Amino acid sequence: MQTESIAATVATEPVIRVRGLVKRYGDVKAVDGIDFDVAPGEVFGLLGPNGAGKTTTVEILEGLRAPDGGQATVLGVDVAKGADSLKPRIGVSLQTASLYPKLTVVEVIDLFRSFYATSRPTAELIEMLELGERKHARTKDLSGGQRQRLSVALALVNDPELIFLDEPTTGLDPAARRSLWDLVRGLKSQGRSVLLTTHYMEEAEILCDRLAIMDHGHILEMGTVDELISKRFKERAVRFDQVDGIDDEDLAALAAVTTVKHDDDAVLLYSSDVAATVGALLGLTESRGIEPQNLGIRRATLEDVFLDLTGRALRD
Amino acid sequence: MHALFALTLANIRSYLRDRAAVFWTLAFPLVFIVMFGLIFQGGGGARLKLGWVDLDASSASTQLKAGFAALDGVTLVETTRPDATDQMKLGKVDGIIVVPAGYGVSLTAAAAAGQAPPVQLEVVTDPSRPQLAGSVYQAVGTVLGVVNLGGRPPLVVPLPQTVQTTNLNAISYFVPSMLGLSIMQVGIFAAIPLVADREKLILKRLAATPLRRWQLVGSNVLMRLLIAFTQAVIIVAVGTAAFGVQITGSLLVVAGFVTLGAMAFLALGYVIASFARTEDAANGMTSMIQFPMMFLSGAFFQIDQMPQFLQVIARIIPLTYLADALRQVMVGGAAFAPLWVCAAVLLGWLAVCFGIASRKFLWQ
Repeated sequence: MQTESIAATVATEPVIRVRGLVKRYGDVKAVDGIDFDVAPGEVFGLLGPNGAGKTTTVEILEGLRAPDGGQATVLGVDVAKGADSLKPRIGVSLQTASLYPKLTVVEVIDLFRSFYATSRPTAELIEMLELGERKHARTKDLSGGQRQRLSVALALVNDPELIFLDEPTTGLDPAARRSLWDLVRGLKSQGRSVLLTTHYMEEAEILCDRLAIMDHGHILEMGTVDELISKRFKERAVRFDQVDGIDDEDLAALAAVTTVKHDDDAVLLYSSDVAATVGALLGLTESRGIEPQNLGIRRATLEDVFLDLTGRALRD
Repeated sequence: MHALFALTLANIRSYLRDRAAVFWTLAFPLVFIVMFGLIFQGGGGARLKLGWVDLDASSASTQLKAGFAALDGVTLVETTRPDATDQMKLGKVDGIIVVPAGYGVSLTAAAAAGQAPPVQLEVVTDPSRPQLAGSVYQAVGTVLGVVNLGGRPPLVVPLPQTVQTTNLNAISYFVPSMLGLSIMQVGIFAAIPLVADREKLILKRLAATPLRRWQLVGSNVLMRLLIAFTQAVIIVAVGTAAFGVQITGSLLVVAGFVTLGAMAFLALGYVIASFARTEDAANGMTSMIQFPMMFLSGAFFQIDQMPQFLQVIARIIPLTYLADALRQVMVGGAAFAPLWVCAAVLLGWLAVCFGIASRKFLWQ
């Protein structure tokens, strides 16, 4: 899907090129024929709920799993054939930041440095990942955010051209998440390419130059955040908490409303003229003697895109 | 630094920081040895204890007994021929003197005739403890010197005997067993951290680096061998220093069997790690293998005293051959199987287990 338009936008050789990739676990197709390219210097996101096939895709590209079909080329190397020649050139942070629990931060970094012919100095990595205060702490005593930063540090020991970050902020508090986002932006400014997976819409919106929305092993839609949103939603949405006494037909008949959606306990009225819709809504609710709670206006988000694509919200 | 050594160092650090692992592999065998050592030593000071078997019960034999009893530092333990061996095996006596039936008559005849063949006094010693055996013969020599006084040729000569199947006292039997046992533990316990690393996705993370699998396995082997040798040194040192166990054989051959045994059990550990999905499962499986192996191997109990069907198992399991080989080499114990058979069986286990593990091991 969309391979031609992507090829046109990518001037140089892509760092990742995936065509018709398939991975089965028994009868289940975890990855079911996906295509995408990642351009050099790009932060590309795979967005989707748990079980969408994001991690499987990433692990195939890292050379950790063999695909059952299709082709994946990373940095010009076919991963099914040349994973060994690829490993010195990529950086990997797995979904679960798995580290030697009884070793210290410095010891783990030094250990990973020993695996590569060339590596960055430990002190440099520790400073970059802001782990200085904890450098002699055992990894089991680190906070979730520190552990995740160490995991990223390990992905950077070999100064890789391409970095895979699988769910880098899952389970982190907002401050730790923001600090990791800064880190990813820093990687991009150094000209590195990043492939990250996430199920956080906000993260995808903030970090990714382009992203692919995945569900059930398929890529549903691909593009920049703006492209994904504006392609589906020319309008903004009026939202309020679900109330009894109004049905969707009433709402759809309101001025300028194009679509009515439900997202958990909220009603979303997509509108081409928000002011007219709000006025009409208030008129309707007043006539029925009810008051809409938490009334607000918002621009469509990736959340809306996902809801529109799959009919369900992307929340965990 | 080379990845192999860096990873070995990381393994050793992780191991040393795991107090439970250190206790079970290093301290526990020591505690065991000290415990057994104290039990079997049973307060026995520097006295030489001789089992006294009198099959003659004549005035001459009574006189001989008095001669031994008069010796400084010698205690006589009256016993019967069948019991004597068992007592020696348990360390209750250091040697046995058997006065043959007809001793008194033969002695009189020999003294009268002058040319009659000398009377033979059976002296049973333990060749694995040359110092003790020496003391026994010294005592025998002193007493017979008195009896033979004036007699040319001597009237009574010692008939040296050894108890071929059970010629070790308990602690000498036990120290090589304990070393074998410790090596078994070091080997099969390797499964647990390995499965834990897989569960924690550490193995997967390593797979995403240029680290080779042989380096991963090699670092594991290096680290385990290092622990095995540390154990060997500690156990041998404590056995010899604290309990007077004499190492009679070649330390080089001991080292060879420590290495071979550790490798065979390590391979068995990898087999466990190939089938255990969780750390708990690995724990259970190591216990399930460890305890029967411990009790069926002859490490603690003599194999020929086991029921027939258990003997069959004892003849298969690797610990039997490792403990037997170590016992033969270290203290000159009686052989259950020739050394080359022990080596061959251990090599066989190593090859089979390594073959299974290399096929079945899940890296992720």
